[in-house]
Amino acid sequence: MKRKASSIILNLILLVVGAVTVYPFVWMLFSSFKKNSEIMALEQHLLPQEFILDNYVNMNAHFNFVRFFLNSLLVTVVVTLLVVYTSTICGFVLSKYKFKGRNFLFGFVLSTMMIPWCVTIIPKYSMIQSFGWMDSYKALIIPAMFSGFGIFMMKQHIASIPDEIIEAARIDGANEFFIFHRIILPMAKNGISSIAIFQFLWTWEDFLWPYLVINSQEKQLLAVGLKMFNGQYSTDYGALFAATAISIVPVLLIYLFFQKQFIAGIAASAVKG
Amino acid sequence: MMKKRIFVAMMAAAMAMTSLAGCGSGAGKSTGGNAEAKVEAPTEPFGDTIKYDPSVEINDGKDISVELWEWGSDDLFQQVIDGYTAIHPNVSIKLVNNPWEDYWTKLPLALDGDKGPAIFNVHNSYHENLINYMAPLDIPLEDLQADFTGVDAHVIDGKVYYIDYGMMTGSVYYNKKMWEEAGLTEADIPKTWDEMREVAKKLTKRDGDKLIQAGLNFNDDFHQNYLLGLNYQLGEKLFQEDGRTPNVNSDAMKKVMQMLVDMYEVDGVGSKDFGEKGADSFGQGQSAMVIQWGHYYNTLKTTWSDIDFGVFEIPTFDGNPYAYNRYNGESTFGVNKNAPADQQAVAQDFIKYFLANDEAQINFNLAMSTFPAKKSLANNEKILENPSLKVLSEHIDHYIWPGPMPSTVETSLKKAGQDIFFNGVDIDTALNEAQENIIKDMKNSSFVSVENLYAFDK
Amino acid sequence: MFKKTHPLQSKSEIILRNIVVTVMVIYFTIFLVVPIGIAFAGSFHEWNPLSGTYNFLGLANYIEVFTSGLFGKSMLNTLIFSVVVIFFRVGLGLAIAYAIYSTLVKHKSFFRAVYYMPVVTPMVAVAFVWKFMYNPQIGTINQIFGLDVNWLMDPKTALLAVMIMTIWKDFGYAVVMYMAGLYSLPADALEAAKVDGASAWQTFRYITLPLLKPMTLFVVITSIISYIQAYVQILIMTEGGPGTATYLASYIIYDEAFVKYNFGYASALSFVLFVITAVFTWLSFRVSGTEE
Repeated sequence: MKRKASSIILNLILLVVGAVTVYPFVWMLFSSFKKNSEIMALEQHLLPQEFILDNYVNMNAHFNFVRFFLNSLLVTVVVTLLVVYTSTICGFVLSKYKFKGRNFLFGFVLSTMMIPWCVTIIPKYSMIQSFGWMDSYKALIIPAMFSGFGIFMMKQHIASIPDEIIEAARIDGANEFFIFHRIILPMAKNGISSIAIFQFLWTWEDFLWPYLVINSQEKQLLAVGLKMFNGQYSTDYGALFAATAISIVPVLLIYLFFQKQFIAGIAASAVKG
Repeated sequence: MMKKRIFVAMMAAAMAMTSLAGCGSGAGKSTGGNAEAKVEAPTEPFGDTIKYDPSVEINDGKDISVELWEWGSDDLFQQVIDGYTAIHPNVSIKLVNNPWEDYWTKLPLALDGDKGPAIFNVHNSYHENLINYMAPLDIPLEDLQADFTGVDAHVIDGKVYYIDYGMMTGSVYYNKKMWEEAGLTEADIPKTWDEMREVAKKLTKRDGDKLIQAGLNFNDDFHQNYLLGLNYQLGEKLFQEDGRTPNVNSDAMKKVMQMLVDMYEVDGVGSKDFGEKGADSFGQGQSAMVIQWGHYYNTLKTTWSDIDFGVFEIPTFDGNPYAYNRYNGESTFGVNKNAPADQQAVAQDFIKYFLANDEAQINFNLAMSTFPAKKSLANNEKILENPSLKVLSEHIDHYIWPGPMPSTVETSLKKAGQDIFFNGVDIDTALNEAQENIIKDMKNSSFVSVENLYAFDK
Repeated sequence: MFKKTHPLQSKSEIILRNIVVTVMVIYFTIFLVVPIGIAFAGSFHEWNPLSGTYNFLGLANYIEVFTSGLFGKSMLNTLIFSVVVIFFRVGLGLAIAYAIYSTLVKHKSFFRAVYYMPVVTPMVAVAFVWKFMYNPQIGTINQIFGLDVNWLMDPKTALLAVMIMTIWKDFGYAVVMYMAGLYSLPADALEAAKVDGASAWQTFRYITLPLLKPMTLFVVITSIISYIQAYVQILIMTEGGPGTATYLASYIIYDEAFVKYNFGYASALSFVLFVITAVFTWLSFRVSGTEE
């Protein structure tokens, strides 16, 4: 009986916190079907008094959702794949090989995580310019290929793979490339999916850098596109909310798809930090 | 199980939304196509002193493509581009639209590289970030001066890099319904600040202690609409004689600031906590009067179409001001001096076309609610149909432009005002701090005020 | 290139190691060491890329950083902001994760998904939504609680309001992290506690919590790094106001670099911030007693 009561209370608390968490989204979603004057009106109602689809239908005038979405997807997937690969291979080398300077290198990688964006963004911008990479995806992909965080996570994760497995493969005559691609990569699956999700979210949401280096509308990314609704004298709230509503759906789907591996992956890498 | 259900629901929602966006894309494209289809190309030269001759080929008739960067008004620019490319089908001008704030981060950085746009829209508040990348206009100075007002303020070493096509300034917008409810008539339209304060009191409604209708609301924009303008009515400029040292802790500025504080705290015609932004509060039907710049006319027309409003000229202290208010120009485009020569030639030609073309001038001024700088359009019917421009027409020569002030002047005064209203700082301290801040931020600025070019300068 | 230290190294191991280490070193040199060097040099200069200014100033930028009252104030704000937000992020995250983990709760993935929603939503959008919710006249918060508070303009509540929004946006991250931590707890330790007759609270306090320490450290450190760099919410919700009441360190850097184009001063600020971040990160390692 006591158990049942506490179960109800606990579920109730979770539901209340959940409601608080979701409420702004509900508000945003309903507002995306309102006119701007209604969003700002003195008389506030959660449900649209005058239900309009204009914010979605007219979105393309300033916000080519499908295009931005596909661009973001392309860049994010490429960056994520690269980061997963580089993080895993660096993590493998740093955790399983012993060589002089290893600890220094790892310490350096760790410290890169602490460097604020603002320190490097200015020089990075001039470098990209002098490389002639402006307005191309090279500028988004190449500087993002390695991630200090990813290497750190994968080193921790791969350290938990027993050395015996690697030794056994070596005795069977496998070379290191084979060991990495056929043994380590599959065994690091959980670590990889957590890195993948982190990296996916970061790249997906990153704003300042793509904004600075991408000029053409047709190459622009979703997160930057959302800023388009901010005008000189006013913000088009209805359109902003509509665009936000549809742009979070894909990310949420990816999370829902992978949440099991994600959680297992974090468990395997971070807990042992 | 739960996961699967959520997933299905999400998927359905996602598909519904993408299909919506899909519809939008189709519709958008088709209208774009129509707009491009038919534009009549003039064949005779047109313009006042600056003449544009459509029969002169550009780029020897060879195909050329240039970029034009602007913020926010695609349709407006596209009209001019369509008009131009109808005359010169070999030229294609690609419009790149950026949101206002981001435009100013991005444009200077793009111009710094070699891939910057050949033509870009200019706003004088970002003058210093752009001027080093601009080529002077090909049009003779005398011709510009003959056709446009305010050209002198844009002359740098005998050259002009951009001018203003229109002048924007502040006027009072009032809610006609509230005006009538308070028993006020046309005859009550205030001419002086004392009258204005009386009217504002009549327009204020309270429920016990609680304010339910503000007579006047200047929240969030007092710096722009009062502090940086009313000082001129008292004969005090924003910059001292050297044109470099700010003058924002002057007695005039203190008097204006004190008046604002008194209106809220003594007269009680509004409150710092009533309506986050004066402009929105007026649109929400919560405030009876606001002073806003010209752009507000369009905001009212589009977002707040339910409000029946009138416009009158800004009141003065004594009916005989040194200048009524500060104005700011909406500027023409600039030419990127680092662009290839053939692109620059197109850019120069395009600007000439824009300046000579009355229809484009009228459209731009109406779209921004700015008073035309082109002299021949001062009494144009279409312009005077816009009430926010009509109220300016009588004294338009008594408005003053301080030059492209660095943005720190505005932001420092906004901070000062917020410190006074919200953080309990006294007026003298806050304005002195603003003065120091502006001096510090302007240390490396090349700005020199052009207030002494004002026609009625003492 | 590298000295042989391991007797069993095969040729392919050396090749793989050399490739990986070389690429890593080259990459981090180009995209981190060089930019940091440029920024460091720039921090001793008056540097404005737009007017092409690059004049040596010596320590002037750093002196300005340390004598600027605004930077001091914004550092204090950053400290309050980070400590409070991290405290609630960790506390709320742990409590909720533990609740979901409990056998008393059924729809675990439903709750996990709900709490994670704000995490995946762009800050730009949620900051606008919350700005509306805080509006003194039409905002949901005043309406629901029957208050009359000008949240974002009252110096007493402005920073608090931004912190509440940030906690709302970010606590889901900690929930998921702790869920992961809880699932990987060794079952035998918990089982043993049960057999010994430990109460639920005792089990949590003396077994679960210590076992979750590495995860807590992880959440705290990633939070320190991200909150010291937070500026988007300030940019949209308060612009640092009223007056300068909600200035955060990163907001000043953003403002100096990309609004005023004082790259030199912005670089000096960045380095000071970097040192402070490093110190705090190191401190949290020390406090937690983990040495690695």
